[in-house]
Amino acid sequence: MPATLDGLKEIAVIWSAETLRAMRSARTLVLLGLYAMFSLVTLLAIGALLGGGRVSPGALPDLEQLPPVVEGVFKVNLFFLPVYVMLMGFDQISGEVGSRSIRYITLRARLSSLLLGKFLMQASLLVGLVLVIDVGIFLYARYAHPNFTLLAMALNLVKVWLATLVFSLAYVALTTFCSSLFRASGLSLVFNFCLIFGFLLMELAGRYYQGKSLLEYLRFLSPSYYSSNLLSPVLSEFGRSGLAYASFTGLFLGGAYAVLRARDL
Amino acid sequence: MSELAIELSQVTKRFGPKVAVNAVSLSIPLGQVYGLIGPNGAGKTTAFSMMCGFLHPTSGTLKVMGVAPTTPGALKGKLGALPQDAILPPGWEIGELLTYWARLSGLPQPEREAREALDRVGLTENWFTPTEALSHGMAKRTAMAQALMGKPPLVLLDEPTAGLDPRIAAQVRQLIRDMKGQQTVVVSSHNLQELEELCDGAAILDRGSLVKAGTMSELTGLGAEFRVQIARGDVIPPELTQLPGVTSARMESPTVLLVRFDGQAHKPEEVISRTVAHLLQTGVLILGVTRGQRLEDRVLQIL
Repeated sequence: MPATLDGLKEIAVIWSAETLRAMRSARTLVLLGLYAMFSLVTLLAIGALLGGGRVSPGALPDLEQLPPVVEGVFKVNLFFLPVYVMLMGFDQISGEVGSRSIRYITLRARLSSLLLGKFLMQASLLVGLVLVIDVGIFLYARYAHPNFTLLAMALNLVKVWLATLVFSLAYVALTTFCSSLFRASGLSLVFNFCLIFGFLLMELAGRYYQGKSLLEYLRFLSPSYYSSNLLSPVLSEFGRSGLAYASFTGLFLGGAYAVLRARDL
Repeated sequence: MSELAIELSQVTKRFGPKVAVNAVSLSIPLGQVYGLIGPNGAGKTTAFSMMCGFLHPTSGTLKVMGVAPTTPGALKGKLGALPQDAILPPGWEIGELLTYWARLSGLPQPEREAREALDRVGLTENWFTPTEALSHGMAKRTAMAQALMGKPPLVLLDEPTAGLDPRIAAQVRQLIRDMKGQQTVVVSSHNLQELEELCDGAAILDRGSLVKAGTMSELTGLGAEFRVQIARGDVIPPELTQLPGVTSARMESPTVLLVRFDGQAHKPEEVISRTVAHLLQTGVLILGVTRGQRLEDRVLQIL
């Protein structure tokens, strides 16, 4: 079998097997439940802050734009999503390197297949979770705004879902990278948290020093900086953000591969 | 491909200041059962891990089945390994786990391979047992099963019988015997009696360095020395060294005569018969003759 095809088959086998295992694991279920509850609480809080209540049907013209409540929940969720992604996957590689169970895999598959298979597994779980939660939020938005047309709801659902995915894939890759750096999962977790926090500080510092110092460029190095345009109605702005997140994803995955190739397992 | 399954050339592995393997050069021919011998900390597991591609050598070169073992995917389908200290991943039933690994190895009938491998290690009934629920012995046998799946041409087994009860250990030894002649097997073990019985050749490591390597016959001196247990009479060793083929003779203890001979040029039975005949002619009574030395004694002597 050609090497590329064999590599793709390995990725598919690892992805399917690891996804099945993850779906059975208590930790995944607990984290999914917690994230869903967190989103619900956010939704209720933002709903209350924005005045709550249900708009009377027929009182307003058809709503084509994203309701403010959805945008609010999206932004809050996006802020906490990196931490959630980190908790879900901090030990995906370090757990295997620390216990040396990775050795059973490397005898049979390339490291790149292992990394991508695990990355896709985490991404698949997020795809499902985000979709379930987004559907829930949009159903609420439809209830709260009966003038929110079905077509607008469907289009905005896809938009929000894609935006969340593009954003979260970069953080899944970051978690993969951090997990590849250490044998001890605890260290991966702490380092991952420090990086997320560091990126946030870089963004804030960049915004603070905007027009004042060269430090303003720091914000461009932080993935979170690019989230503001993810819901932009202008396609090119969304495209630029998407490209930035794709670059971060590639960078972190490439880093993880380089680390794993160089280190002892 | 060369006739060598494994070739180490001046391989060194350092962990910080500690030298775990020091400039080891070693060749393991295809088709042999080969032992890695040495006390704790000798570098066996480190050497083994480098052969599997788990560890990168600090210097030197390694070739396993003709390729560098750290090249991604290079050993797929060519190597089965039982790593000594790798834990089976949690969250799996062992049948499902082995099927997954068989699929990853690209074996045509993964589930059948998994069932057959579990059958060979006596775990047929444990298909649905979770990996977390396995005893030490069962986990080791599961790990052994994954090494056997697909009948790879090279199998590396690190301490395959350590911690197993005698009945299961005997089963594992039988599995290795069954592989003899069909696959190349490298076994690392502290059980020297087991290695002497199973192996065609072996390498003795101590403190990271290769002390001696050769065929089992060479290591035990089977073709180069014998001992005569003396019951009564005076042995005069210098007389024996005059016999054809005898290179040296000395009393190892008051009742044991050690004779070394040139095994390349003379057949052991001829040298032994001549020596025994000479002893009897000179009035020495003997109780027995043993060829070579037990591997355990040999290793203790060397280390």
